[in-house]
Amino acid sequence: MSHHRGTGIFIQQRVTALTNIVVIGFLVWLVATLYQADRATIAATFSNPIVAILTLALLGSVLFHMRIGMGEIIEDYVHEPRLNSLALALNTVFVLMLGVVGAFSVLVLAFGG
Amino acid sequence: MVELLLDKKSRPGKGKVWPRPGGATNVREYRVYRYDPDTEANPRIDTYFVDLDDCGPMVLDGLLWIKNNIDPTLTLRRSCREGICGSCAMNIDGANTLACTRGMDGDGPISIYPLPHMPVVKDLVPDLTTFYAQHKSIEPWLQTKTEAPGTEWIQSRDDRARLDGLYECILCACCSTSCPSYWWNGEKYLGPATLLQAYRWLIDSRDQNTSERLDNIEDPFKLYRCHTIMNCAQVCPKGLNPAKAIAEIKKMMVERKVA
Repeated sequence: MSHHRGTGIFIQQRVTALTNIVVIGFLVWLVATLYQADRATIAATFSNPIVAILTLALLGSVLFHMRIGMGEIIEDYVHEPRLNSLALALNTVFVLMLGVVGAFSVLVLAFGG
Repeated sequence: MVELLLDKKSRPGKGKVWPRPGGATNVREYRVYRYDPDTEANPRIDTYFVDLDDCGPMVLDGLLWIKNNIDPTLTLRRSCREGICGSCAMNIDGANTLACTRGMDGDGPISIYPLPHMPVVKDLVPDLTTFYAQHKSIEPWLQTKTEAPGTEWIQSRDDRARLDGLYECILCACCSTSCPSYWWNGEKYLGPATLLQAYRWLIDSRDQNTSERLDNIEDPFKLYRCHTIMNCAQVCPKGLNPAKAIAEIKKMMVERKVA
């Protein structure tokens, strides 16, 4: 990481921690609401644009926060430069994959899939 | 990767059990880390028995009693014997503290090691070269831009009070060497002691280099390796809170960034 970069990441970590409180609260409500619901009911719920948008926000906030957290752990413990770069890159790829799959799934449900 | 285990040459083995002092009825067992750089041998844990009827009440008193009466080769730093100089910082029963202010409480064996995760010069003496260089790197002295006044730099009582809880640091290194982040990244992370000192100069009303000081420590490693583990505040023998000082620095960084 380059000089003078730490504060930006620190702010991002704190902001996503705050947004996570809101979106995870929404997730708890969503899971409780859809407990034992059939697929048609779930699809109907996700067709509500507010639910779909909040779920996408949940994915974005949690995954962004997760990437920062795992990045910090890698920086703490993986010191060999090439292994460090590889681990950081894999961390980003993993988060992107989860985000794409998650967002696609939400959109499929939202548009009546 | 970080080294989570000591290498084989650094692992302490069983050491010598020194004889009990003759005629003593009130003794306390000391288990002390010994390392001699002049031999190829691994470190070892020697066992001594201190005659409490012939010794002061503090752990340092016991160590000096051992040095004076049993084993003069036992090596440790000490000076003021009253918690001011910070020389006798060591790990006692699993926690970093000053041997001179730590009483021989309880009645079990007392285990004594040098400050953790530092190179050992000999026995209980750690190499603090990097620690002192880090302290120097934050330029711990008053820096001004305006012309010096004819008398002294004036400071109000309130501004002076802001330095309470900071200026008392004696640089014993108990906090930094208790910090896991400092263990894993001690070459790059400044550590709680240095950052507490950095904050002491950042909020000094007389200092005029605040922005430059923030520039100097704004770095993912120098500052942001602190993960608020709080071991520093737990062990500080002066009762200071370096973690709070670090949090205040982070707050200054954020305020500067979003302003």
